[in-house]
Amino acid sequence: MRLKIISLIIFFLFGLITYALVYTQALQGYYFYNLSKNNRIRVVHKEARRGRVFDRNGIVLADNRISFDVMVVPQEVKNRNDLFLFLGEVLGIDKQKLWKTFQQKTINSFAPVMVAENVPKEKAVVLEENKFLFPGLVIEVGFQRDYPFKEITAHVIGYVGKLSRSELNELKDYGYTVHNLIGKSGIEEFYNSYLKGETGGLQIEVNHRGEQVRVLGVKEPVKGQDIALTIDSRIQKAAMDLLVGRKGAMVVMDLDKGEILAMASSPSFDPNFFVEGNRVVSQYCADPQAPLLNRAIGGQYPPGSVFKVIMALCALENKRIQAQTTFTCPGYYQLGRRQFRCTHVHGAQNLTEAIAHSCNVYFYNTGLLLDVNLMNKFSRIYGLGTVTGIDLPYEARGSVPDAHQLRVKQGRSWSKGDTLNFSIGQGDVQVTPIQLVKMMASVARGGQDIHPHLIKSIGASEITDDTLPLEKPVRNQTYEIVRAGLRAAVGDYSGTAHVLDINGLSVFGKTGTAQSSGDQHTHAWFVGFIPNAKTKIAFCVFLEHGGSSYYACQLARDLLTYMQTENIL
Amino acid sequence: MMEYRNLGRMIWMAVIAITVVGLVTIYSASAHNVRVTQSVFFQQLICVLAGFAIMFLLSYFDYRKFYDMAYVLYGGSIFLLIAVLVLGRDILGAKRWIEIGFFNFQPSEVAKLAVILVLGRYFCGQRPTHDFDIRGRKEILWRDLFVPLLLTIIPALLVFKQPDLGTAILIFGIFIVMLFISEIEYRYFFSFLSVCFGLVPFLWHFLKPYQKDRLLVFLNPNIDPLGAGYTIIQSKIAVGSGRLFGKGWQAGTQNQLNFLPERHTDFIFSVIAEEWGLVGTLFVIFCFFVLIMCCFNIAQQTKDKFGMMVAMGMVTILSLQVVINIGMVLGIFPIVGIPLPLVSYGRTSLLMFAFIFGFLLNLSKRRSVF
Repeated sequence: MRLKIISLIIFFLFGLITYALVYTQALQGYYFYNLSKNNRIRVVHKEARRGRVFDRNGIVLADNRISFDVMVVPQEVKNRNDLFLFLGEVLGIDKQKLWKTFQQKTINSFAPVMVAENVPKEKAVVLEENKFLFPGLVIEVGFQRDYPFKEITAHVIGYVGKLSRSELNELKDYGYTVHNLIGKSGIEEFYNSYLKGETGGLQIEVNHRGEQVRVLGVKEPVKGQDIALTIDSRIQKAAMDLLVGRKGAMVVMDLDKGEILAMASSPSFDPNFFVEGNRVVSQYCADPQAPLLNRAIGGQYPPGSVFKVIMALCALENKRIQAQTTFTCPGYYQLGRRQFRCTHVHGAQNLTEAIAHSCNVYFYNTGLLLDVNLMNKFSRIYGLGTVTGIDLPYEARGSVPDAHQLRVKQGRSWSKGDTLNFSIGQGDVQVTPIQLVKMMASVARGGQDIHPHLIKSIGASEITDDTLPLEKPVRNQTYEIVRAGLRAAVGDYSGTAHVLDINGLSVFGKTGTAQSSGDQHTHAWFVGFIPNAKTKIAFCVFLEHGGSSYYACQLARDLLTYMQTENIL
Repeated sequence: MMEYRNLGRMIWMAVIAITVVGLVTIYSASAHNVRVTQSVFFQQLICVLAGFAIMFLLSYFDYRKFYDMAYVLYGGSIFLLIAVLVLGRDILGAKRWIEIGFFNFQPSEVAKLAVILVLGRYFCGQRPTHDFDIRGRKEILWRDLFVPLLLTIIPALLVFKQPDLGTAILIFGIFIVMLFISEIEYRYFFSFLSVCFGLVPFLWHFLKPYQKDRLLVFLNPNIDPLGAGYTIIQSKIAVGSGRLFGKGWQAGTQNQLNFLPERHTDFIFSVIAEEWGLVGTLFVIFCFFVLIMCCFNIAQQTKDKFGMMVAMGMVTILSLQVVINIGMVLGIFPIVGIPLPLVSYGRTSLLMFAFIFGFLLNLSKRRSVF
């Protein structure tokens, strides 16, 4: 009897452990299997090297340089005090501060925490040598984006940065992670998908101490593609040097292919600060001078007299005037009770002279022969009021006035006064420097639509761009007449841009002195082209509140002379 | 009821099956072990062969001789238990082993056996108590309860002092089962049990801090996942992750990557579970069950009271060790450090079980001594 009870107890106990086994292994097996996998597998990200950016001559504009980050693995730290004392000593940072960042950034015990980023090489070597004394200390070698030209190429190249939370949410589906860097402006942003490469990783098996036992899987990171730009760093540097201390922009474009040789905008910034996370960045953002703005494509200004080129094309093509048509300039134009002023008393002017001397009265008269719709249409043919499609983000469209919009926006109808303002590129006309370069190139090429671009090659493949005729063909004769005026502006002694009459170069172009709102100085423009030099170029010099166009011409002259001595022109 | 001859054959088969599983697992568990080298496998192998020899020889050795030797063995084991406290080799903070040449001898294993033999002899020496028993209650309690309790408590306390809580509990468990079978009156038995349970809270104070930790983490392993709870968590992960068919021999990641501590000894079952899955664990449990039932049948069919008592003590020790060890690995018992019979690495334990099965085999051959 008592033995029976014992045997029943044995039965019961065996039933219990059998049940427990079935429960753990069969029912919870999958759960525990995953736990055992997580126990032993860690994924270590290996960042891809970002593609480099070169100029047209193979000079590096954006590079990757080796950087050293100091990481601490919380679970492996034996003596916190000693470790942070040592780190503080070597890095020259307060121990308490290091400890604070460490605490703030700790997520879990095995994930390394970055306590100092981008440590100088000598210090990294010291840390590396003493690593064995301090378990948990890891010096990670990474790549840091480096822009050797700093301010000079800042607006064109842009910079990279870590993904923000909102960007991460947006791009998660495309395989971006927190570890990725992303281009935040300029070429870095526009060609990010080519430059970024593919993040790789290691699947590592670890033992109970978190030490690596073996590598289970490797996905080598794929290096991003190198990109060559059409930029010539010599011209770029010269342009930026000329703009130092001024506000403005310069663009030099190859006339035949639309390749941008230089695109300068001032004031500028050092993109390396963005990569390093320097405090200066917030100053950039708050600066009223807007150093982050690429004025060449993002700044919108009234074109002033440069717009007269379009006026001339429009009037000639529509046969409202001819080359011989003459208007007399008494120094002003009387419209009702209002007087519209000219710069000088020019006297009798034909079209060529009017362009060369930038006579306002001539174009007031011309404008009154045209109507606003026609002027608007021609402006759009030459690409005003719309983006040029250059391969940079954040390009501005500018604006071209039209009667309908005026009524909608300001609630008044188009007046003759508006026409007069429009005629000389004032009022609501807003353009970007790159738009004017493109316009001028079309004039030079006799009506070819030119696509300004910065990309020369991605990886091994050349990027070429076809130029197409403009949508509405304009007669060649028209262009010839206008070009004669543009040449006279430089070539004639009385031309507004005579200062640009450089020995050995036949420069064509148009000056502009545009009034800006308020009492500030006028904007100074010179937009021109050189159709028969070694390198045929169209270019633009713009000075924001730079005063008379004469200053823009001077800068243009310096730039062209430089290019001449460098044997580019 | 099975024939005696068949019972003997079944015991041999089950014992061989279980020891082979043990050897195979020890080989795997020591392969990439940071604490021990693969030599433990060869030591165990030699011991298994020696154990078979002992089993075979003992099956021809008249078990009645142990009746005579019971007190001598008991005295000897008490002496060894005292000796180990004085001379013992310190491993992991516990003095459980005496070094004899290359052999680490564990007296607590012998003590279990000695207690079984001495209780067997003591209980069969009593006259059965009857309703018309003329002795007083005091006398009955003294003879039927306190003397055997004293015989048990002395070695149990010495083992507890080592400290080896698991074996001390085991020895006490043997006493309770044998007391139950000794036909003591139910009222005495159950009042004794309730007194024992009543004393448990007081015994808490005598436990070492790490023993308290182990019992606490048994209630909730997550209070200290990297400390005392670590073993339970890692062991459960190992067992569960084996799923139905296991990860394969020497392919258990919990085992090979050192996540499991003590995996060639007390936690060897989690290695079996991880590498062979539910199929393997059920096979092992089946073998143990057959073995225990065979032993139980031998005890049941023995007419000799000494033989029956001792056999039941042996069945108890075998069942308790199997159930507590596996339960501990599965997290349904606290970690008390009890090896899995015939499987865990441990030479004294292995030889002791060889003795037990040799004894039982001999018992099965002697249907009747009269």
